[in-house]
Order: sequence, then C-alpha cells, then structure tokens
Amino acid sequence: MKNQSEEKKYMPEISQKEIDELRNAIKATSQKIIAENIERMKKTDKNRPEAMQYFDEIANFFGTREKEIRAAKENGKKVIGYMCLFAPTELILAADAIPVRVNSGWYDASKLGDRVVPVEVCPMVRSTIGAKMIGLSPYLELSDALISVLTCDGMTKLGEILSDYTPVWTMTLPRVKDTTQSLRLWSEEIKAVKGQIEALTGNKIKQKQLKSAIELTQKATKAFRRLQELRKGAPVIMGRDAMLVNQTYMWDDIKRWTEKTEALCDELEKRVRQKIWACPPDTPRVMVTGTPMIWPDNWKVPTLIEEANPQGVLVADELCSSERLLYDPVGVDEWSMKDMLNAIGERYLMASTCSCFTSEDGNEDRINWLLNKIKEWNIQGVIYYVVRGCMLYAMEYTRVKKVLDRMNVPVYYLDTEYTREDVGQMKTRVEAFLEMLTARIDI
Amino acid sequence: MIMEIVGELLKLTVLAGLTIAGILVILIWKKGLATKVTYLRFVIQVVAMVAVFYLFTYPIWQLIVLIVILVMPIVLGRFFCGWLCPFALYMDAITLIRKAFKVRHRNLPDKLNKFLHNFRYVLLLFFLIVPFILILIDPPPSLDSATLMALLFAGPFRPLGVLLGPVIPLIVPWVGPLEIGGLYFSYPYVQEVIFYSNGVLSEIFVTITALIFLGLTFVGSFFVRRVWCRFCPTGSSIAILNRLKGFKWAPVLHLEKDEEKCTKCGICKRVCPVQVTEVYEQKGGKIMTSMCMLCFRCVEMCPYEDCLKVNLGGKTVFKSRNWLEPSEVE
Repeated sequence: MKNQSEEKKYMPEISQKEIDELRNAIKATSQKIIAENIERMKKTDKNRPEAMQYFDEIANFFGTREKEIRAAKENGKKVIGYMCLFAPTELILAADAIPVRVNSGWYDASKLGDRVVPVEVCPMVRSTIGAKMIGLSPYLELSDALISVLTCDGMTKLGEILSDYTPVWTMTLPRVKDTTQSLRLWSEEIKAVKGQIEALTGNKIKQKQLKSAIELTQKATKAFRRLQELRKGAPVIMGRDAMLVNQTYMWDDIKRWTEKTEALCDELEKRVRQKIWACPPDTPRVMVTGTPMIWPDNWKVPTLIEEANPQGVLVADELCSSERLLYDPVGVDEWSMKDMLNAIGERYLMASTCSCFTSEDGNEDRINWLLNKIKEWNIQGVIYYVVRGCMLYAMEYTRVKKVLDRMNVPVYYLDTEYTREDVGQMKTRVEAFLEMLTARIDI
Repeated sequence: MIMEIVGELLKLTVLAGLTIAGILVILIWKKGLATKVTYLRFVIQVVAMVAVFYLFTYPIWQLIVLIVILVMPIVLGRFFCGWLCPFALYMDAITLIRKAFKVRHRNLPDKLNKFLHNFRYVLLLFFLIVPFILILIDPPPSLDSATLMALLFAGPFRPLGVLLGPVIPLIVPWVGPLEIGGLYFSYPYVQEVIFYSNGVLSEIFVTITALIFLGLTFVGSFFVRRVWCRFCPTGSSIAILNRLKGFKWAPVLHLEKDEEKCTKCGICKRVCPVQVTEVYEQKGGKIMTSMCMLCFRCVEMCPYEDCLKVNLGGKTVFKSRNWLEPSEVE
C-alpha cells in the first residue's frame, strides 16, 4: 500500500550516510545509558533480587529480545506495534502476532524530532519520530503495522507522521467513557482492528485462540498485581526495579514475562518473611503520576527520587508506562466471541484512567485510583510528573492538587523535558520535597 | 398407619439431609474451597426446590411458605429470587443449555427493562382480577355464593396461586396437570389455568395465558437471561420495601460499593443477569434497588479487591476478590 519511494508527507529526506551516523552514535550512547541505569539500580539496592537479572537482560533494547523477535519474524510471525495501551493486545496475541509497545524514551532522538514538529510538542512524540527517522528502536523497525489510538493530540498526529513508513491503523477513542454511543463506537473500532489484524497475519481469530489469549493476559495481570501487592508493605523492592519489570511487559514474550514475574514475587515473598528490605522501612513512600516514563533514557525522575539524599522509595505510580499497563483484567461473562470482544473493549475503554477522557465529575476515575493507592499503599507524598507539551496531564494538576490537599498529602509538580541538562536543578527540587516528607514523618 | 409415619419420617430425613448439605456447601464456600458463587447458587437452588417439594406435601405448609416469602424480603430483599426460587432454576438451566450451544444472550434495552420492572405491578393486579373476569365471561353452572367465593379465593388464579406460582416446584406432590411415570409435573400458572376450563372463552383465554408463560420462560429465557424475573409478580411483593424511601433501614442484606476502589470497568453491569445498572452507576455506599436479586454475580466477577461487598447486618459475608488470586503475604 505504502511505497517507500513515494513522497513523504512529513518526514524530511535524509541521506543514508547521515542516518547511519546518527543511529550508530545514539545507539552507542543508549547502550551505555542502559548499562549505567542498571548499574545504578544495582548500587541503590545492594541486595537486589536475583530474579531481576532476567529483566535487566530483557531491558536491553539491542539484545536478546530483538534477536528473538527477528527470528520469529523470519518464521513468518507478524509484529504489531502500538503506541497507547488502548490497543487490544489480546487480539494481537490471538492472531499469533507479537505485540510491542513502541513509545520512545530516547532523549537524543527527541532532538531529531524537532526537524519535523516544533519543540512545543510532547517530547515523547518527538522522540518517537526521531527514533523512526533514523531507525533506532528495533521494535519500531520490526513492526509490520502500528496501532495508533487517538488519545492525546500528540498521539493523534504521531500515527499520521509515522504512516510515512509503516501502515498505521487508527482507532478512534471516544473522549467520554460511559455513554452508550461511545461504547458502540469503541466496540466498532475493536471489530475493525480485529479485521485488520486478521488481514495482516492471515490468521482468523477464533473463539479458542481468543480465549487462550485472554487467559494469558489474565495470568499476566495476576502476576503483575501480585508484585504491586508486595509493594504495599515495607519496601521489599525498589520502585525502579518494579517499574522496570512492569515496563518490560511492553515488549517481552508475555508468557515468559508472567513466569519470571511470578518467580520474582516468590523471591520477594521469601524476603518479606525474612524481613530483608530494599531500603530502610521508614524511607518516605512516594508515588509518581502523570506523563509516562519510558525506558531507557527517561529514567531520570525515578533515579533522582531513589538516589536522593534523603532517599525516597517509589511504591506506586499512576503511569500508563507502568502500573496502568496491566492493572485491569478482561472480565468475560460468557466465553462467546461477541462477549469476549465486548469484554476486551470495555476493559480498555472504561477501566482506563487516562487524562484524555473528560467527564462532568472531573475524571473521577483517576482521582479514585490515586486515593485508593494513597490509602492502600500508604503513600506519603505524590510527585506529579509532567513533560513540557503534555497538555492534558498538566491541566489536570489543579484538580488532583485540590483533592490531595484535602487529604493532607503533599503533592509536588515536577515539570521537565527530554534532556539531561536539568538533572542538577531537579535533584535540588526532589531532595527538598523528600526532606519535607522526612520532616513530616518525624513529626 | 405405621407405614405412613415411616414415610413421613423418611421425608423429614431427606429434608434434614438436604438442609445439612446446604449448610455444608456454605461452610465450604466460606473457607474459600469453592470460589465460584454461580455454581454454589445452583446447588442451593436445587436444594431449595427439593425442600419446597417436601414442604408442599403438607398442605398447611403452602401458607407458611407464602408467609416466609412475604416476610423474608423485609430483611433480606430479593435474596429469595436470586438463590431459592425454583422457577429461576429452570431459567438458569436453560441458560446453561444456551451456553452449551454457544449462543450469546441478548440484552433488553435499558428503558424496556425499567418499564418491565414497573409493569410487574400491573401484572400482579391483572392476576388478582382474572378470577372475576373469568366468572363474568363464563359463569359457572351453579351460581350459589359459596361456590363463587370458593372459586374466587381458593380456585384457579386465586391470590395465593398468583404469589406462590413461581415457587411451585417442577414435580408436585399432588395431582398435577401432566403425569409421566407416576410423577406429576406442574408449571407455575399453567397448572391453575388448566383446571379452569369450563367454557370455550375461558379455555381460549387460559390456553393463551399458559402458552405465553411457557414461551416466555422456555424461548424467552433462552435468549434473555432470567427473563421472567424482570417482571415477576411475586418479585413485586418482595421488591416493594426496597422502593419505599422510609424503609431503607429495613433490609439487612445489601450490596455495598467502595467508590475509590471502583475503576468503572463496567464488568458488574455486563454480567448482571437482570441488567441492573445501579451497581455500576451509583458512586458508592449501599446499593438499594428493587431490581437487584442479590445473586452476587457482580460481586463474584468484580476484579477489584473489596470493591463490592455483601453486608448482612453490618457484617461482610462476601466481597469481591481479586479473582486472579493475590499474593498470600500481606
């Protein structure tokens, strides 16, 4: 359908030489950063769970998982990338294709994105454009098609821009969740994307396959929730480690990921019994909410929090790159095809707390999620993380702050960019916040 | 004489055995060995049906069953509808057959569902008036007042029959309309209708009524879950207290929702066999709707720990678990 030689709608013409140079340079830095991030995580928690080793390996973008997907592709499997977690993973799995999430966290790539879109645009979008421009992200390159869900403004246009290279299927997301007409639209979209997946892979999605795909993700949710439950008590795992585990779900083989996460939980449970904590139990318990933080570069904020002096520990978050990925299971009433599709549709649309939705009650779903986390996970402070250009999350800050003030939970608005330059001043800000939290605990 | 006493004793033993079986099931469930409420409910429904059969072998018990059905809802809401009603058991059995055929259920439009919920009172009134209409259109041969009164209050379509109709088990201990191998089969409303056919007009009338009931349950409930429960006149007597504003304190058994734990994922709305939307729509707190039959399907399917709770006199007896089974270490 799309011809490479066709004139590109958005992407600039760059010579192959420049592409190669840029890719090699950024890839080299990125590999260094991945190694460094893991090294720093090991340093923070000296006695890091052994099961984390697997996730460190998978976290390497240019390692085993890339080779695996490449090999699977040679055997005729298709890879379907998605940009927002609204994409129905179960359908992709049922068609025997590999789902990968292709959002990019590379800081350097975002500078390249500036050639296509202005700097005011969300850096995650710019970075994804930049990564595609030079073929940096292996998962984005390996994707046979992309599912673009029209959530925020950046994502809406991102799909359009990327369609210069890869077929992009758009899914219109209604901005109001629980009306009959929006549910109808969304279920039509789910059906349409099912047809597209079937056409691409050549596999018809049948009741049996879909059922086992749903069961697979339900098992993943089970393992995922088990990990989050373990973070309720004294910190047995550092927040960054847990975030990394959650994040690897975006590109790992889901069955293996589930097994490994269960193994990690087994180890953590043993540690809970032996009372081996990852950091002192009186460390301030922090939660982050807001814009997604994508491995490997955009690991700035969690690193700052957990390496700060005084130290904080992330015990929960409300990020679509971490805890929101898998919190909600697909709840099927009867295992008929239509009901399963309904259940998938509702799970993605209605249970989501994305800030792109609007409602009279002020996105109360998100507020409830935050309140529940704060109470159950015993959160002492919330960091509201927003990157420049992330309009929707920035606009919801006032709403969140009002509610949290009423609950007497300090919330700190941390705005940043895809850059390493502001680490110094952010460190000061984070440390001041954590100091305040420590003082509050002492009182 | 001795044989009769032995027979009675046997019946009582069976009844006691069934009761013990029911209690055992509850105990097993409370210990978390059986996790699926739907199957548990099925067992209890069968036990309840057999129990009602034995109770009905004593004519006097009919009245007591009726009194129980009328009084129980004051404190238990429509628990009877969800868990004990034999008539509901047929519909659930048909649902099982439908599932085996892999046919998907249909949902009634919400507006129609709400309309039917109120329509039940019209239906109740209709059933109460029917004897009078039948007497008017087809006067019995002898019209002395005693026979008339007997027909009105003890004959077919008697008020007792209307309210007790759905409770009558499939196999009745008395001479029923249909006999297969020495067992008498009956069907709610149909049985009473068949007796009353002393004229052509009333015969046509009762045949149509009977066909409507049969069709509604056997064909209707194949496509729509618990179709009869949506406008059952027996349910009206049960539902009425939940509707009255001043009686919110009365029901001891009710659902409670935790607002903060709910993500509005819509599962509770989708799995409800009678399409109650209040559990989903209401923000939190006690859920008091006369449409809810307290079958606890939503509680069973809610994937968020502690989000939905069943409270019995202020004590939580059952709550939504993370049905994906959480970690054992707290």
